[in-house]
Amino acid sequence: MEKSFQDRLLVMFSWGCALLLFTGLMVIVGFLVVKGYRTINLALIFGDTRPLDAFLLRQQVFGGLFPAIIGTISLILLSIGFALPMGLASGLYLAEYAQPRLKLFFSLMVDILAGIPSIVVGLFGFSITIFLHHSFSNRIFPCLLISALSLAFLVLPYIIKTTQNAIESLPLQVRLTAPSLGATQLENIIFVLLPSALSDIVSGIVLAIGRCAEDTAVIMLTGVVATAGIPKSVFSNFEALPFYIYYIASEYSDQSELMKGYGAAIILLVICSGLFALAHWVKLQIDPKTQFSY
Amino acid sequence: MGQLMRHKENIARIIFSSAAISSAVLTLSVLGFMILLSLPIMKTGMLWKILTDPWAPDHGKFGIPAMIVGTFYIASFSLLISFPISLGCSFFIQIIRPDSPGRFLKKLVQLMTAIPTVIYGFIGIFLLVPIVREMFSYGSGMSILSASLMLGILISPTMVLFFCQSFARVPKRFLNAVDALGGTSFQKLFCVILPHAWPGVLTGLVLAFGRAMGDTMIALMISGNSVILPSSILDSARTLTAHIAMIIAADFDSIEFKTIFICGGVLYMMTSCGILLARVSDRKQH
Amino acid sequence: MGNKIKIQIKDLWFYYKAGPILENIHVGIPENTITSITGPSGQGKSSFLMTLNRIWQNIDGASVKGEVKINFGNGFKDINYPNYPLPQLRKKVGMVFQVPNPLPTSIYKNIAFPLKLIGEKNRKKIFPKIEYALKKAFLWEEVKDRLKEDANVLSVGQQQRLCIARALVLEPQILMLDEPTSSLDETSLEMIEQLLLKLKKKCTIILVSHYMDQIKRIADKKLVLSNRQLKQQEEEDPLKKKIDTPL
Repeated sequence: MEKSFQDRLLVMFSWGCALLLFTGLMVIVGFLVVKGYRTINLALIFGDTRPLDAFLLRQQVFGGLFPAIIGTISLILLSIGFALPMGLASGLYLAEYAQPRLKLFFSLMVDILAGIPSIVVGLFGFSITIFLHHSFSNRIFPCLLISALSLAFLVLPYIIKTTQNAIESLPLQVRLTAPSLGATQLENIIFVLLPSALSDIVSGIVLAIGRCAEDTAVIMLTGVVATAGIPKSVFSNFEALPFYIYYIASEYSDQSELMKGYGAAIILLVICSGLFALAHWVKLQIDPKTQFSY
Repeated sequence: MGQLMRHKENIARIIFSSAAISSAVLTLSVLGFMILLSLPIMKTGMLWKILTDPWAPDHGKFGIPAMIVGTFYIASFSLLISFPISLGCSFFIQIIRPDSPGRFLKKLVQLMTAIPTVIYGFIGIFLLVPIVREMFSYGSGMSILSASLMLGILISPTMVLFFCQSFARVPKRFLNAVDALGGTSFQKLFCVILPHAWPGVLTGLVLAFGRAMGDTMIALMISGNSVILPSSILDSARTLTAHIAMIIAADFDSIEFKTIFICGGVLYMMTSCGILLARVSDRKQH
Repeated sequence: MGNKIKIQIKDLWFYYKAGPILENIHVGIPENTITSITGPSGQGKSSFLMTLNRIWQNIDGASVKGEVKINFGNGFKDINYPNYPLPQLRKKVGMVFQVPNPLPTSIYKNIAFPLKLIGEKNRKKIFPKIEYALKKAFLWEEVKDRLKEDANVLSVGQQQRLCIARALVLEPQILMLDEPTSSLDETSLEMIEQLLLKLKKKCTIILVSHYMDQIKRIADKKLVLSNRQLKQQEEEDPLKKKIDTPL
């Protein structure tokens, strides 16, 4: 009798927690959608400008999210462009070349990097700007380039760890096949290991993209502003979706602006969940072909 | 052919190791820059004052203990809220209903990790804060309580997934043995799974705490940002992270601006200690 | 037999994390013969094979001490020297694993892979070699019409023959096979044994096997690995057998 009472308690507790978390999520997402779905239309993104004109950069967009969306996209492209090669190379080094002691040290460094709060990474980016400003050219200010670099620092550990884990979790047989046929370490990496680990690596990259899209703290200290239009060059200021949301939340002047904030929040949520679903889908797509069945 | 091959191999090795070395250098540079840029302040011997005074720039006081305390309070409360719920969810997913309901919850939790923190902050301001304000009729609603609640939801998914992973690592044969002897789920959990997986649970806790300490947007948007030491959960407080975000707007040459790097350094140390702790407890599970 | 020694092993030790797997191995493998290795499971037969192509280096926690001298035609050279070129070594010492390990690509590309590694790009030269290797492994008839198909759709037995063909395409001087017929049916098994008997004229073969009758059928030199030691198999005394036979 007593055993089954304990068991029932456990079951109730677990169900309770599960329902609590589920409800919490539904309330948050539901509130957002209910309050904001009405603002989802082209005007939210393009303001008064016609979409085609906006895309072709013929006309500036005022009062729309388009510049912020472009800003976020530019950020993603630049920062992944920086972080990907370095992250892949480091991850490969850790998985394939590093001696046990060095490996321990390096992976500790990567873990610490991953644990640094994003605002501190932003502060670091800001410090670099100060340095460059005083040592190189005093035309260097916080800008798209600096933000992208700082974001790259933020997501670098994710890419390193994903690559390292993807390769290390390949079955031993897969890792030994090419060498046993006379392949060099580099040949093994290029012809066998990377193709086999590709699905995991790509889904890790997609998750890193999500991280770039959502971050606010880093870009706040390195060049994002509330209104800047489409960035003219990598050295100019820029807008970004997450910062827009923060800005509206603290500085909205009327209901319609607040509603735009809700709209932006929904769009950001959709983008981030979309990226997450993409990462999942990618994993499923490439996986079946690389099954090693016995 | 042999020479060329060896050259390519060596070049590849050099490229890969340089990348890894650069990453390590980066990690250390962050700390380095924080220390370097804090030097002007440290040279004037103000360090002790910064760690003990209250924050009142107009009166020449630039102390950050209120913010350190704020960080700890908010992070700890969020952990207090989130830990039992995360634990319960991972029980649910791994043990109680590992079939459809568990799988569904796991997928949902995984999806939750993609939600940006700024959105939690946004919802916090417009949904949670008014509720807290109404419910307790105390202050503006922007308080430790509100921030901790939202932060708790933020860190739960990572904790749940971490706990699930730790539970899954328990060797199947132990679980099968309990089943074969007719044991209940409760016994399975407390006699076999937890004793084996507790280091993983501890690691998850430490990592979540680090995450909670490092979050900026939720604290910035809904904790009120008061610089007075809070006396209750319903009081407003300011975290180190929010503090940095607010001070960045200050005058570049002012002393208050220069304290920003000390905050950065303190945060770096705090989270790195957490990482080291997590490493130690992770070793125990293996 | 009177054959020259191809591989001379002296003072060989193999360590893996917990402790020694092989202790103080001394043995000579004769050229152009089939040498079999039998013994209790999990005691180090596969590890022994790994010492002959230094693939143990790719395994975390494995280390080796001692001399493994191989004569590829230019005299005996110890392959355990730090600078010994491993990719070249492994092209001359082929290995077929216990569990088939086709690469995640087509049948054609699987067999062509070793040729790619030596830089052979000429399709006209590659294709005949692939056909030849697949015929030797008795797989050609079954796959000749579907060379572009993924190797993973083959049955386990076919995959094993694929791996054997792949190991043969560079015509190695030494071929090591780790229980190559354990996933095969009767007919394939016979065919592989025929292959090995033909092959040994140009190739030194080392075979790990559990099948005592297989060993009897094809092995020239029989070794037993147990208690971390490698020794000659004790020959059955023909007189003992006569006395044992029931009246």
